[in-house]
Amino acid sequence: MAHPDYLTDLASTVFENLESQHDWTLLESHTHKQQSSLTETNKTLLPRPLLTGLPPKRLYLHPDDQVELVKTHATYTVDETPEMEWVVPMHLNEQFTLKQLAEVFDSLEPLEPLAKGRCKRLLMAIVHDDSTVVYYFVHDGIVKPRQN
Amino acid sequence: MTSSSPRPHVRISKAANRYLVFDIDDVMYLRRNHNICSVFVGTMPQAPQQSAFMGLPIELMAEEAQVLVEKNVAFVVDDCNYHLARMAAAGPQDKQYLDAVKAVTSDAQRSMRESTEARKAMYANKGTSKKKEKKNKKAPDTQSSEDVTDAPLADAEEAAAATSLFDTTPEPTSATTTKNSPVTREAPEAWSATLTTSGALLTPSPGQDEQLASVDVPASYPLYAHLQDKGYFMMPGLRFGCDYNVYPGDPLRFHSHFQATGFQWNEDIKLLDLVTGGRLGTNVKKSFLIGGRVESEEQHQDETDTARDVRAFSIEWAAM
Repeated sequence: MAHPDYLTDLASTVFENLESQHDWTLLESHTHKQQSSLTETNKTLLPRPLLTGLPPKRLYLHPDDQVELVKTHATYTVDETPEMEWVVPMHLNEQFTLKQLAEVFDSLEPLEPLAKGRCKRLLMAIVHDDSTVVYYFVHDGIVKPRQN
Repeated sequence: MTSSSPRPHVRISKAANRYLVFDIDDVMYLRRNHNICSVFVGTMPQAPQQSAFMGLPIELMAEEAQVLVEKNVAFVVDDCNYHLARMAAAGPQDKQYLDAVKAVTSDAQRSMRESTEARKAMYANKGTSKKKEKKNKKAPDTQSSEDVTDAPLADAEEAAAATSLFDTTPEPTSATTTKNSPVTREAPEAWSATLTTSGALLTPSPGQDEQLASVDVPASYPLYAHLQDKGYFMMPGLRFGCDYNVYPGDPLRFHSHFQATGFQWNEDIKLLDLVTGGRLGTNVKKSFLIGGRVESEEQHQDETDTARDVRAFSIEWAAM
């Protein structure tokens, strides 16, 4: 019950990129679901290896909150309170299906600051052979774009 | 908005695999009540290059036609078959139309005859010379039709004045004189009416003799139906390299929020496509939306409810 090597290596590439280039903290690799009731041996395997971590400042703000904050001039404080993010490492040559994406979302558990409900977004890290890593937000559902 | 009384179904003409709506009331109804505005494709027949301001009809996407059929507010007619069938068998509607044409024609003929006779009587009263009378007979032919139709009795004086101008012109050739001589009998036949509207020919409501045509929807239809069900306006997505531009309201009032592309549940998506879509979307302040109908093992039997059981994901550049 383990992922193929190339997926594990991919995860470590992204791990290092986040840690060294983007100054993320509290980084953690995940291969199995975090079910406290089960013992280490029979925990269910995640569809793919995943990472969690804390970016140096807030990465995502919903446009409605953005509008609200602009009204109250509180943008600065939000930047200072980052949220934990889920990261799914992928390679550019891979293909994926809607089904796989849904499975990844369904396997996520809410991270601590969110505390309740399901996880609504993840960060897709796409790696290319020249070690470029690009990051895209994937939202579960119809989420309107940010006003940038 | 008040819920209106049952409205006649919208008639969608399917011609050469395009779905067209010709009735302006239907177009407004679809835009107001069913968040479909679609694309105007009509040009002026005499200036087809003038495409900046297109008019009726609107051309619906196949998805839009299908959604409307499923909502039971529209029906699709194969216009080719319909046209041939209607040409072959004239129904009561056609008789009505022909009667209307005939009535208008005979009205026009009668008023024409009356005005000619009135004019003749007036000239006779004036006791004009024989030569002049001959000229007068020529008058309805030489004058423009507008003058003739607008010439009531009061204008007859003016008409007479106009004909007096012709006194100075040389005598017409023998060919025209022979043509002019039976003018009193020929004039009414020159009048045939062209109606300004063919409204009387417009089609009956569905059901009777119309063969309903099927709609061939593309694979991205479930995503379309899902978004349409949520009240979004969709326009063709060519501009942003996707299936649909998705607007949160009427496109005249809002910028679009998403570029949407539909996929099958198990269809392979290239990551580069996702990056391309996400990158372009972010540049134009949109999200790249992908989605499709969920295919789980147990729900294969009922595939009718397309709007539900669709899962969508929005993709944005993370700016890092």
